[in-house]
Amino acid sequence: MDRKDIKKWFKAPGKMGHKYSLWAIYFCTGCGIIEIPPVITARWDAERFGVIPVATPRQANLFLITGYVSVKTLRAIIRTYEQMPDPKYAVGFGSCPINGGMYWDSYNTIKHLDKYIPIDGWIAGCMPRPEAIFVAVTHLWTLIDQGKAKAYVNYREKYKYYRENQERVLGKLDWPPLYSIGGGND
Amino acid sequence: MVIKVLEIIVSPILAFIVGVFFLGLFRKITARLHWRYGPPIIQPVLDLIKLFHQQGFSHGPVFDLGIILALAGSIILVLFIPFGGICPLSNSGGLLVILYIMLFAPLGIALSGGEGANPNISIGVSRKLILALGYEVSFLLVLLTLMTYYNTISIVDIVENQRNFQWALFSPLALSGIAYFLILPAMLGIRPFDVAGAPQEISSGPAVEYGGRHLGLFHIWHAFSLFIYIALFVDLFLGGGSNPLTFFIKMLVVFILLTFIHGVFPRFRIEQAIKYLWKWPVIISLLGLILVMIIR
Repeated sequence: MDRKDIKKWFKAPGKMGHKYSLWAIYFCTGCGIIEIPPVITARWDAERFGVIPVATPRQANLFLITGYVSVKTLRAIIRTYEQMPDPKYAVGFGSCPINGGMYWDSYNTIKHLDKYIPIDGWIAGCMPRPEAIFVAVTHLWTLIDQGKAKAYVNYREKYKYYRENQERVLGKLDWPPLYSIGGGND
Repeated sequence: MVIKVLEIIVSPILAFIVGVFFLGLFRKITARLHWRYGPPIIQPVLDLIKLFHQQGFSHGPVFDLGIILALAGSIILVLFIPFGGICPLSNSGGLLVILYIMLFAPLGIALSGGEGANPNISIGVSRKLILALGYEVSFLLVLLTLMTYYNTISIVDIVENQRNFQWALFSPLALSGIAYFLILPAMLGIRPFDVAGAPQEISSGPAVEYGGRHLGLFHIWHAFSLFIYIALFVDLFLGGGSNPLTFFIKMLVVFILLTFIHGVFPRFRIEQAIKYLWKWPVIISLLGLILVMIIR
């Protein structure tokens, strides 16, 4: 935060609030989660960026998907993502959510995560260093500032596409659609 | 009359500012104790701005009203506690009214949690009530000792009696003061007594279904409760303050000591907490009561 921001604070306090207070949910997918404890504890201290871990999706607005996504986990990821309150940002961490990574020919993982939930950005690497999370967070700040971190709007508008993809992998989903399937006006 | 009305308006605002400042300082000092750099001290303000701009979830009218009831209870309680020279309603009722209104906040949270219908909430609320059962014993004993010693229930009179550095902490009431300080972390719900809102065990307990502005109100309630219990300690044992500034400095000292305790200790399990709370604070406050009885 610097002094140049003061004008922005008066113009759009909500946006600045979302920017500087990203609360990430505790959600362990695959091996990437091993990089999170050093990030939030003494060595790399994510709290100076306003990033803290919270225990429930209701309180969170940042979703780090860390590592490969098996079909069983995808169900939990979708449910968690749909429970988060609305300006919400999802970041894929590691190469597995991007294109399958080393599990590219596995029968039980999904390859492209952004077909199932909308993603704001990716952190490439296997494993990415903890510093990469801070690069991602600062980049996310820039995106929020420019109004480009709109994946959650995308989810609402193209809900039919996402829901169809989810049902193709998971079979019939046992929870009602979050938005009307027609998309748009909800 | 005008001054009275002004005081009624100003004192919750002051309490809010002090409480939110304490929340920020709390995170900063804890971070420094962990050898981290820590968030900026205005981070709670940023969080509150964010929370009030988020989409909200509601599980029904009681879910909304419960948290508002808790917050209202805390704001009313602030009016009954003298803050330096500012004491809008503290001439009426005194300690007994404070004891009654203190029940509002946990009741509101419990009501709101009942509507949320999450198993983690019921575990959190039951833990909170068990913890209250633990510390209320010695809290009531401490208040009884104070009322016996000063022969009054008025908190203003108690503050008045301690003028010119005749603090209760350095009088025969010292044992009661120590007992109050021992149960203070349990009343504030900070470590080692944060069993009710443990994020790793029960997903932050009563706050598990709160998101958006409900969580914002919950944080404000937490800020108020930090203010209330520490201000009560300063009023009862450290002689209040002649003006808000000295009062604030005394609160700051007590608060920083509590933060050190929070930063160093791990969490008790609930039965360990009860074992501790029913042992040492009760013994010390009973000894204090007996001492005061003998002296008078």
